[in-house]
Amino acid sequence: MSILSPYTLLRCVTSPPRRTLTVLQPTPSTTSFTVSTRTVPRTLPALLLYYVFIILRILVGALAIVVLWAKWRAHKENAGEVKRVRSDEIEGTSETAWESLVLKWVIGEELLEMLFRSVERVDWMYFGPGVLGVMWWVVRRGYTEESLLVLRGLGIQTSTSSSTYLQPPVTRFIPTTSIQDIFIHEAFKGSEVRFYLAIVVRGEEAVVVVFPHLLPRRHVLEEVWRGARACLYEPGSTTKL
Amino acid sequence: MPYNIAMISDFFFPQPGGVESHIYQLSSKLIDRGHKVIVVTHAYEGRTGVRYLTNGLKVYHVPFWVIYRESTFPTVFSFFPIFRNIVIREQIDIVHGHASLSSFCHEAILHARTMGLRTVFTDHSLFGFADAASILTNKLLKFTLSDVDHVICVSHTCKENTVLRASLDPLMVSVIPNAVVAENFRPLSYTSDDESRNGSSRTGNHKRVAPAARRIGPHDTITIVVISRLFYNKGTDLLIAAIPRILASHPNVRFVIAGSGPKAIDLEQMLERNVLQDRVSLLGPVRHEEVRDVMVQGHIYLHPSLTEAFGTVIVEAASCGLYVVCTRVGGIPEVLPGHMTVFAKPEEDDIVAATGQAIADLRAGKVRTELFHNQVKQMYSWTDVAQRTERVYDGISGVLSEGEFYQGAGAGGGWSATRGRAGVQSFALIERLKRYYGCGIWAGKLFCLCVIVDYLLYVFLEIFAPRSQIDICRNWPKKIMKDGKEKDKDVENGSKDPNPIARKRSTRHRRETREDEIES
Repeated sequence: MSILSPYTLLRCVTSPPRRTLTVLQPTPSTTSFTVSTRTVPRTLPALLLYYVFIILRILVGALAIVVLWAKWRAHKENAGEVKRVRSDEIEGTSETAWESLVLKWVIGEELLEMLFRSVERVDWMYFGPGVLGVMWWVVRRGYTEESLLVLRGLGIQTSTSSSTYLQPPVTRFIPTTSIQDIFIHEAFKGSEVRFYLAIVVRGEEAVVVVFPHLLPRRHVLEEVWRGARACLYEPGSTTKL
Repeated sequence: MPYNIAMISDFFFPQPGGVESHIYQLSSKLIDRGHKVIVVTHAYEGRTGVRYLTNGLKVYHVPFWVIYRESTFPTVFSFFPIFRNIVIREQIDIVHGHASLSSFCHEAILHARTMGLRTVFTDHSLFGFADAASILTNKLLKFTLSDVDHVICVSHTCKENTVLRASLDPLMVSVIPNAVVAENFRPLSYTSDDESRNGSSRTGNHKRVAPAARRIGPHDTITIVVISRLFYNKGTDLLIAAIPRILASHPNVRFVIAGSGPKAIDLEQMLERNVLQDRVSLLGPVRHEEVRDVMVQGHIYLHPSLTEAFGTVIVEAASCGLYVVCTRVGGIPEVLPGHMTVFAKPEEDDIVAATGQAIADLRAGKVRTELFHNQVKQMYSWTDVAQRTERVYDGISGVLSEGEFYQGAGAGGGWSATRGRAGVQSFALIERLKRYYGCGIWAGKLFCLCVIVDYLLYVFLEIFAPRSQIDICRNWPKKIMKDGKEKDKDVENGSKDPNPIARKRSTRHRRETREDEIES
């Protein structure tokens, strides 16, 4: 079967992103399990592409901020609050002038002029959402990462990465004393039945689902479950693995 | 060959009822015989998600919209994605649907055939042919049963009814009756006897061949028990008409009535009108495990039902040592031997007369009710039901050859609906469409359309919810000790059983269990 058969292509498109499990065990009593949809670049071209992409994102983000500033500036000028920025007139007259000075130094006078003019023509109605969209693309995290950190004698911390780079991940710490059990079960989700790993917390009605968004496959869950139990409970204790 | 079987019905625990306990008992006995069984039903209040029952019976309570008397809304296709998911993750080979009023079961059978699985349908009820609702149900039944591998009915009357309703080949319909767990329905004397002998060895139990007869004097009070849901089809109106007349002509008789339903009010009104509260006690709804405790209070069980496919409750009553008065309707005459029952026509006069007859028989000591329990125990057992159902599974999955399965009746190029004239069971879409097309002028075309849409949906799901993304479930761990015991039992059966088919099956089983052992 050739690689580019329509069926294979369709499968590539329809199958969900690959989830990889990374297990880190710095000490015997600490283990972290991370499930992520991120593709880690391994080959040199992939690595280069990865860094180029990061730089591109930073540049596009910076450009979006500059354009936004220019538009805001043009808006104020039209309203008559600020005088038009001319090369000779700006010396120290306005408190906002230093930004244009910096910009002029970076991208040059003609370009700045062009920027102002082109920005002036675009209506806020299109400009606002456009810039917002670009900003969203820049700060968006392209993958989801969920992890379970097990510390013997302390407890368990679950965390889910946020959708953007600006927000911190959502974490939850459960101390050992309130962990009653950790188990794998099945549940209906959408139109399918999925396995999930859950922690029973003392005094709570609902269980805490580990990896609630990614819901990895059964063999991954089993590995995490074994590892978590081995780490959480001393080896040779009464609980069976 | 151990099968992976999915039992599908709208009706399952926690709701009480005959179909529900049938599915449960059959499933657990099939598990005992080494098969894997799951039950798929809809979500009940307080019972959702995936549950395990005793013996590793896994139950999927699919979240679905319930419309009427715990039946789900028939949506034909919406169940397919989740059904396919369950079938793949549990590696199901046989889909076994129960109850003709369950839309879940019909949909599942349709989808299962689309996926190329073997299907069995068990019918638990009788239907008319005349009223609008029955015609509609019958048409739907015809739709589903156009393409099913085998049908099981609980009595011969039920078989006749189903064959006519769904235009089936009678050969592909088997009769496997319900059964009762006789241990749960012991007569009062039996339990006390058992307890008193608890310390002694089991041989003591065996010695007691004939328990002491219960003598009823001419002036002792005779209690008549009625346990049924108080619906029209259970004959509550007949009961309401008959009670005052029976009580008027027999002074030392009282009634115990358990159950609830829309006719409960009529019953209470009748009691008030005739001032019979001191002779008739209404217990209201009782749970299934309390049924025995109610039954053993009485001497006669009155069953005035207007329609009944099997009537498990009269077997339970006989097992409790009650003399049974019942209407001669549906499958009831097949259920119990003549010496345990008095039959009546489903009309007021005849029920009064039959009850009078039963009271007279009891007073005269003509009936040995104390022997009923052991007789029922020998007649009905779920292990037997599971064995016979397993044979059906063997037949449809080709383990038994066709001639062997039908015992010569339909062998050798015999024509049947699912097998076609070529005598080969075909899953090809066009063959299936041919079967559906014969359902009626308009219905045939409509059904074909449904089947085609279902097939397209299947292809769509195969692409957009690929099999490789569905996790396979782990099976419930089996106890090895139990396997050994089962093997022994099978060997015993094989050596004693004169039936050649049974012997053949058991040797096969023996071989397989041995293989299993080697594997493990």
